[in-house]
Amino acid sequence: MVTQLETDPIEALYERGVTDGLPVVPPTRERVERAVEASGRAGDELVALVPPNYGRATVEKIAVNAVMAGCRPEYLPVVLAAVEAVCDEAFDLHGVSATTNAPAPLIVVNGPIRRALDINCGAGLFGPGWRANATIGRALRLVCVNVGGARPGVVSMSTFAHPGRYTYCIGEHEEASPWDSLAVEHGFAPGDDTVALLAADAPITVYDQRSRTAPDVLATVAASMAVIEHHKMTHWGDTLLVFSPEHAAVVAGDGWSKDDVRRFLFERLQRPVHELVPGKNGGDGLPEHVLRKFADPEHDATPIPKFRAPQHIKILVAGGTAGRFSAVVPGWTFSKGSNLVMRRIR
Amino acid sequence: MTEYLDPTDSVAVPRKTATRPSSLDGKVVTLLDISKAKGDHLLDRLEELLRERAAPKAIVRKKKPTFARPAPDPLRDEIVGATDVLIEALAD
Repeated sequence: MVTQLETDPIEALYERGVTDGLPVVPPTRERVERAVEASGRAGDELVALVPPNYGRATVEKIAVNAVMAGCRPEYLPVVLAAVEAVCDEAFDLHGVSATTNAPAPLIVVNGPIRRALDINCGAGLFGPGWRANATIGRALRLVCVNVGGARPGVVSMSTFAHPGRYTYCIGEHEEASPWDSLAVEHGFAPGDDTVALLAADAPITVYDQRSRTAPDVLATVAASMAVIEHHKMTHWGDTLLVFSPEHAAVVAGDGWSKDDVRRFLFERLQRPVHELVPGKNGGDGLPEHVLRKFADPEHDATPIPKFRAPQHIKILVAGGTAGRFSAVVPGWTFSKGSNLVMRRIR
Repeated sequence: MTEYLDPTDSVAVPRKTATRPSSLDGKVVTLLDISKAKGDHLLDRLEELLRERAAPKAIVRKKKPTFARPAPDPLRDEIVGATDVLIEALAD
């Protein structure tokens, strides 16, 4: 599958429709071979079939897209793990790529590889400036489009999408966290390198400069989490809560564990049925099959939780060491839909 | 002249849509609800119109467990083996 191009390489790759709108690095055989070699795996090894077209993502095919995204060869193992994760049935990439909703796969990296590859987990981590974050996330996007067929406006019909569809990759600021990392919480060893993939909306910044106790910080955070999707959405699934180091220090300083945080938020994020009826304070609300369980929903006070269970609130610490902010990163996690998927980087 | 490797999966063949029948008379028509809100309203009305304007052999109603995922294989097999025409309702 070699193409001879006589025109300007950047323009020629645009003409072939294989970019994300930004110029790509021309995938010469030499560059691709360097990346495959750095992965220590065979180029023809099949990593995954990528929905919705179920295209074959071999190590080499992923390397071509990683080169185009601007990855250094040593980033490839992270991209391979990310592709494997999004193609896990539990991630539901078919739905994520086709929905009219706006999710983008967010990659969260844990382990020593963050430092080895200079993956930003500190100041400005959701933004520009770090090659690893910018290009690893972009490589995954290019694989989803070029191998999976998720072309925007053709198969990928998101009404809005969001800028994270260009690239969406962060590291956890493990050194600034008072708790176990996301990966350790999910059964990996502290020395393991992992990726966690979430079909995610853009981060919602939560500003709270004055709270000095765990319940105060979390009351503010809860109010922002309450409006995920819309204020009457319930039974939601995996969602990331990213504490800045300063907020994490306040919460942990009160002796609160991550489980304490989850329990507090889960309990606080419940509303009575009568506040969730469609057509009252907004046309949307509880779905019909849920409403049918209540004889008189207009007057029923049964509490309905925002999240299906406390463990769906996934917590990590990241961001700059100055600033009393948190970020809520909502998942696209309907019941029976997408879930957080983790993979070891090898 | 420089060589560039192909970032796409050239083996993946774009899917083709099935041939459309010229008439629905005598055909088995399956109406597939993808489980979006009010999909059933849309399909109820379609069923009414189909019975009024055509003479299908049968109209079968099926439902996906969730709109967020592709139809499970057993449901696809059930539909493919037993229907001439499929109408899928999105709604919302």
